[in-house]
Amino acid sequence: MTDEQQALPSPNRYKEFVVTGSLVAMRDRQDSAAPKEIERSQDQSGKFLHAAEILTIEEVARQPVDGIDTPRILSEMADIGPEARLFLYRPEGKVIRYEVFEDPRICPEIHRGAVIENLQEKPKDVSGWSTHEFFIDIKGCLGDECGRCAIMCPENAIHLMGKGKGSFHEIDPLACKGCFICWVECVRTAADCILVDGKTFDPIMRAKHFGE
Amino acid sequence: MATVLAGNGAAAWGFRLSRVQCYPYYPITPSTACSQQISRWVNDGAMEAVTINAESEHSAASQIITAGKSVRAGTATSSKGLLYMIEVLENAAGGGVPCGLYIGNRATGAPINIWADNSDAYAMRDSGVIQIFAADAQEALDNIIQGYRIAEDLRVRLPFAVNLRGFTGTHAYEGVEIPKQEEVDRYLAPFVPIYPLFAPEKPVTYGAMLSAYPYRRHKRNQMAALSHASEVALKSGREFAEKLGRSYGLFEWIGDEKAKLVVALLGESACAGEVVTRHLQGKEGIPGVALLKIRLFSPFPAKEIAQALHQAGTKALVVLDEGLHHGGVLPPLAQRVATAIHLHLGGQGPKVASVIGGLGGSEVRQDHFQLMFNLADNIAEGKPYRPEPYWLDIDEDPIFAEREDQVSPKLWKKWGEIWKKQKRKEKFCAPIPPDAHEIRIYSRAGQGAITSAVGFTGAGIQNGYQLLTVPAFGSERRGAIITTDTLINFHKERKIRSFTRAWDVVILYDDTILQSPEHQVLEGLKEGGALLVNSSRLSVKKIREILNANEERVKVFTVPAGEISQRLGLGHLNMPMLGALHKVYEKVPFKTALSYYEKHVPRPREVSLESIKQGFAETSDQEVKKVKKERRLSVSQDFLDWRPEDHSQESWPSALEEVQL
Repeated sequence: MTDEQQALPSPNRYKEFVVTGSLVAMRDRQDSAAPKEIERSQDQSGKFLHAAEILTIEEVARQPVDGIDTPRILSEMADIGPEARLFLYRPEGKVIRYEVFEDPRICPEIHRGAVIENLQEKPKDVSGWSTHEFFIDIKGCLGDECGRCAIMCPENAIHLMGKGKGSFHEIDPLACKGCFICWVECVRTAADCILVDGKTFDPIMRAKHFGE
Repeated sequence: MATVLAGNGAAAWGFRLSRVQCYPYYPITPSTACSQQISRWVNDGAMEAVTINAESEHSAASQIITAGKSVRAGTATSSKGLLYMIEVLENAAGGGVPCGLYIGNRATGAPINIWADNSDAYAMRDSGVIQIFAADAQEALDNIIQGYRIAEDLRVRLPFAVNLRGFTGTHAYEGVEIPKQEEVDRYLAPFVPIYPLFAPEKPVTYGAMLSAYPYRRHKRNQMAALSHASEVALKSGREFAEKLGRSYGLFEWIGDEKAKLVVALLGESACAGEVVTRHLQGKEGIPGVALLKIRLFSPFPAKEIAQALHQAGTKALVVLDEGLHHGGVLPPLAQRVATAIHLHLGGQGPKVASVIGGLGGSEVRQDHFQLMFNLADNIAEGKPYRPEPYWLDIDEDPIFAEREDQVSPKLWKKWGEIWKKQKRKEKFCAPIPPDAHEIRIYSRAGQGAITSAVGFTGAGIQNGYQLLTVPAFGSERRGAIITTDTLINFHKERKIRSFTRAWDVVILYDDTILQSPEHQVLEGLKEGGALLVNSSRLSVKKIREILNANEERVKVFTVPAGEISQRLGLGHLNMPMLGALHKVYEKVPFKTALSYYEKHVPRPREVSLESIKQGFAETSDQEVKKVKKERRLSVSQDFLDWRPEDHSQESWPSALEEVQL
């Protein structure tokens, strides 16, 4: 290499560019004058967000909250009436902020912003939709080694029970709408695993779904 | 002390002081500078936030919605960018996400027009966003802080938008009080999400599909929350006054308490109306007048406005709209006001006339407000008026017409009877004497006129005056002639934010502007006003000859600013011209101004300061003894006189031989 190598100023902390003639190559940064990274707060508590709680007067009365003047809050809420809510923010169990306000909603069962709280969402009873009953046989199920049916189930009706060797999947009969997706997707082709109406194998059904 | 900021800079401060944590943006004129400033602060570490370079406004809006679920988020946009955001902004409102938008209001094409009107804000009025209108840079800053307060209130939880008129608001430099961070922190508590994303203890789904029954119930809730915003805005405006010293209501009533005639409007144009209202107040033969400057447009404070009009005993109300409602009966603001009056006052309310003006950057001037008050007076007297909008500044369709041949014949058939009965009254329309000093700079784009005018504004504000600098922006290319206007107001308590266009000083950054056929530099210059020309080749006498003006008409000053900056190696003209301005205009003393420039001139500081001083020293209204030979290319007079549209000359006048010397 006869051409002179020339390093370009680079904002990258680890790499820099070198120009040789008309060629540009990248190499690890050799001088120590790497640009400093702007320090940002390293506060780990900011990593996960904490939801605020919104309590009704009954809930506050039932379980007094530490760190606030509960009797005063209760009387404040009583002044507003049944629509009074206590907004409570206690990320690590300690109350940082609280506020009494009047719930503006007219239709109280709809959350603000039409948000759905996933853990409180109860599955609908869709058992009336299904024409066949589905049942997973513990003996055939691969348990947590597989779990394909649970992932594929559109109604979230299949749950893993137990852990490790003895684990198996179970179908919630109320949530199952009988769509056959688990039966089609089963890695064991539902051979001795998923029973439909108590049967493990039905050539007519197989022909219908697999075209066999 | 007030800091010199443009509307965009003030808005950026609003976001910074509100401690916005996420700021995605896709810049668009005229709100670009706000995003620019914030991304610079974030890069410098002055502001702890995440900025995202979005790939479109649609993405930027989607990102503030997503971010706004968990942290405080904001963005800025304008015009078509806002229209592109509207599609997702409905999700922000429906999802109850309290994020913030700053909008530099601008026309929406076609045809393309980058200048101001309220079309974009009107287009978003049905998206469920709280809409606040600011009238100047200070209000933009304050309203963004208050906007977060209103939007995050537990009874509201909705997105908000702060609107400021493009250019005359967003690009006008003026003194802005930047509150201290601690003061704002005391007013605006940190953001707390109700339903954050990524909260392990409460996972949620936003924007799920809802069928008719829950959907209509949700929309009922959403409307209830939005209607609370007006009450919350009033409360937080009061608290803002307590904690930060400037009070805000749902609207501002400027003028007489018992105003028979009222003009209602939104935003920055009110500044010209304020001057007119103050002028007309208490004049003989004029009943009480007032300006109704509406701050909260959505949710519209219908009841409060109707009450205020009722208490004042208003007889006639003229509503100015800077945007259209295509196919509507009245434009959006007029429609809201008229509905409010109809519902809350019925037949007892004032008569409402609608005027459309200020479209696509048209200025709503002081004389327009005089016409509107005049119209209101005629209506109050019981004269007939149009049941459809009037238009401002359309020669074929004026508000008042003296003669039939003055107007479009089509319209005379329709409105002739009304025109005959409506009279223009001198007591309303007599010109308003200027109450402030005004300076106009003609320069070529890129010469730095804005920089020097902004410097001068800062020096004037330090001197205890109120200054305002409004540069003209447009489709100029580098080298085109543009104007920059500065207003100096000596009243401390009285806001003047509107130009009368009677110049005390006119400045030319380039002596060739004297010969520009499109620019009559003496037009509007007061009798005996000053003209400052940057020239080392033209003498004062020669300039008088070119302008055909005697010493009573104009005081002519020259300064060889080009030479000074060349000598000092500065490369631009604005600093010597700034010094020269102080020689010509002595109300802002040079000595006190220097103390400001020492801290604020652009780099290289020493050279800039030196050129300001030399510019001041070398400005003269005398014949300069040794007129130096022109240092640039010597070209023939033919060359200078030639214009592309000039067909009398057969060919391009060849000056090449002379140039080759």
